[in-house]
Amino acid sequence: MERIDGYAAIRDYALVGDGRTGALIARDGSVDWLCLPNFDSPSVFARVLDAERGGSFRLEPAVPFEAERRYLDDSNVLETTFTTAHGTVRVTDAMTLSDDQAISPMRELVRKAEGMAGTVPLRWSFDPRYGYGARRTRIERRSRHWFAEDGSDALVLGICDAPDGIFADGIVTGEVALEQGHSALWSLAAAHGEPLVIPGRSDAERRLARTTAFWPTWAAQIQYEGPWREAVVRSALVQKLLVFAPSGARVAAPTASLPEWIGGTRNWDYRYTWLRDGCWSLDAGLRLGFHKGAEAFFWWLMQASRLTQPELRILYRVDGSPQAPERELPWLEGYRGSGPVRIGNGAAQQLQLDVYGGVLESIWLYVQHVGHIDRDTGKQVARIADWVATHWRDPDSGIWEVRSEPAHFIQSKAFCWIALDRACKLAERGAIPDRSVRWRSAADELREFIETQGWDEELGSYVRATDLREPDASLLTMPLLGYGDPKGERICSTIDTIERELRKGPFVYRYLGDDGVAGTEGAFLTCSFWLVEALAHAGRLDRAHALMDELIGLANDVGLYSEEVDPHTHDFLGNFPQALTHLALVNAAVGIADEEAAGRRAA
Amino acid sequence: MTLWGALAGGFVGTIVLTSGLRVAQELGWTRMDIPLLLGTVFTDDRDRATVIGVAVHFLNGLLFALGYYAIFRAVDQAGWLFGAALGVVHAALAGGVLVTLLLPAVHPRMGTPWSDAEETPLLEPPGFLLVNYGRRTALWTLIGHVAFGAIVGGFAAGF
Repeated sequence: MERIDGYAAIRDYALVGDGRTGALIARDGSVDWLCLPNFDSPSVFARVLDAERGGSFRLEPAVPFEAERRYLDDSNVLETTFTTAHGTVRVTDAMTLSDDQAISPMRELVRKAEGMAGTVPLRWSFDPRYGYGARRTRIERRSRHWFAEDGSDALVLGICDAPDGIFADGIVTGEVALEQGHSALWSLAAAHGEPLVIPGRSDAERRLARTTAFWPTWAAQIQYEGPWREAVVRSALVQKLLVFAPSGARVAAPTASLPEWIGGTRNWDYRYTWLRDGCWSLDAGLRLGFHKGAEAFFWWLMQASRLTQPELRILYRVDGSPQAPERELPWLEGYRGSGPVRIGNGAAQQLQLDVYGGVLESIWLYVQHVGHIDRDTGKQVARIADWVATHWRDPDSGIWEVRSEPAHFIQSKAFCWIALDRACKLAERGAIPDRSVRWRSAADELREFIETQGWDEELGSYVRATDLREPDASLLTMPLLGYGDPKGERICSTIDTIERELRKGPFVYRYLGDDGVAGTEGAFLTCSFWLVEALAHAGRLDRAHALMDELIGLANDVGLYSEEVDPHTHDFLGNFPQALTHLALVNAAVGIADEEAAGRRAA
Repeated sequence: MTLWGALAGGFVGTIVLTSGLRVAQELGWTRMDIPLLLGTVFTDDRDRATVIGVAVHFLNGLLFALGYYAIFRAVDQAGWLFGAALGVVHAALAGGVLVTLLLPAVHPRMGTPWSDAEETPLLEPPGFLLVNYGRRTALWTLIGHVAFGAIVGGFAAGF
């Protein structure tokens, strides 16, 4: 693979993780992104955001090579096979899970290289830069290991069956000629606020084997036998990687500031949990049979939002805190010069009314499929519905988190209707206190508002906002969550308009109008999958199937998707891998499978 | 100084501590919910967990009152001021060790910083000084335990 100015294509990355953090590994064997100890901690390796200053952990042949990759059977363990003129070597990368046979490191990245044919010269380098590359990290050699420390954080690199490295210019580098039948192992263990656990080869090998065995066992629970099963399973595995296990929160992506356009300024930090994603994830999780995960997310949701209820923040940190102050990191140039690099997310303070629809839908799904909610939670839910009945008339920033003036976004209003509708249904079931007369009345007003001010006869579509008479791909979500008849005239006409105005091949832009941020962006992959699902529910199954086939072919070599794509070059853009894209993929596949099954039953 | 006074103080002090934290919860100052945290050790049904948790918390309150009484006897001194001082120590113990370290270690439904993808906990870990439950949780924990200590001290001394 080729790097441009030191940067790998986003498509060339794969993710390994342990349910607490994740590492991006390029096809050339370089770990270019890793935050420790958690997803939202500062990075130790950030070469993906600055090829010079970011820091990395490289392991690659020292001679020209071709690389092929795959995840080991239904797992999140990455295997890269490097083929050179001298022979072939296989590198297995994983973030290991704890075991109970020996004390485990707090976090551990294991890299194991095995000689498959000939003798391949490998080179490696260890260049940790704590604090998003703000400073070169102090590295010391003690007890035959390389230690890196920064305040309460520390790393230890154990090298097994390979010559030791050399420390020069703040980087540890080394080489090994790997013969067929021989192997070497690098174990990078991390600690935060506690002593390091120094890894030995046998312990690291055992954890690697255990981790490799765990993932297929987990994936075997997936209850889906429909079309595109392989892509659905991979998407579920990605989702699992993005769940922060200690709390049950799910990050939108493990990365920050990967640009939505090369050279652009739309660079945002996605290492937070968006409540709306929670709705889609709960839906997707239940559709695949993961009731326990849905229950954990529901508990997290009700606890995290406790401080702000009945108002909901749009995003929370993985530890449940609502604070995510946005700031720029001027010492990083950004991916291929796409600055500024931002961490934190200023959208956290925005009012986005669609969140309420997502949350009430999640609670409705939870009550339908998982279990009852207690009285205290029921009262909280009713208060949220009351808040929606009072505030749906407020302008908001919408699902796309525009940074222009708040507006009356129609998708937001539709989701307020969904919130109130679900509240009424929950009350009917006796799950929450019954104030359905008030909620139904507000829902009726909302529907009247949407159908009069949110519909444009000339455009033949619902519109983006009352004063923005243009299509918006987020309107595709209205029928997906039950606003309007998915086969009805207005919904079908809106789908047609979006395809005509926003679709380019398999790609769909979010919108084309202003959003208060300079610059352009790629097409939004989630919107393509929403279109698939909307087409399926509209009864246009052939078109849905064809589009889905095209989209499945757009994944990278290990089945991952980013947030956006350049429709001209098919290059991935935005944070990677993106939870929402993979959630939309699952829901689209299941949506088609459901419609096809319904069609067979009707026949 | 009487044992029954200390126990009565423990009972009343627990009412004040629990109610105070509940008020702070309702006002959006903390997500700390002691009955839920304790009760979910035994069940994942929230309603039942709250009932069990309240009972366990009152039992804990009485046990801590006995501990306070032992200290009062050892130094032959009791009173609301000394009790309040012990309450500071009690808060540090609760926020720094008991709930932060010990509870996640034994709680079957609570995550820890070491929980990985193999686990699906229902409750997030409290974090150091309970900050994961809201930044002001430590303050309310301190106030609650100082009040508890003052009440136990006052009751034990016979006012």
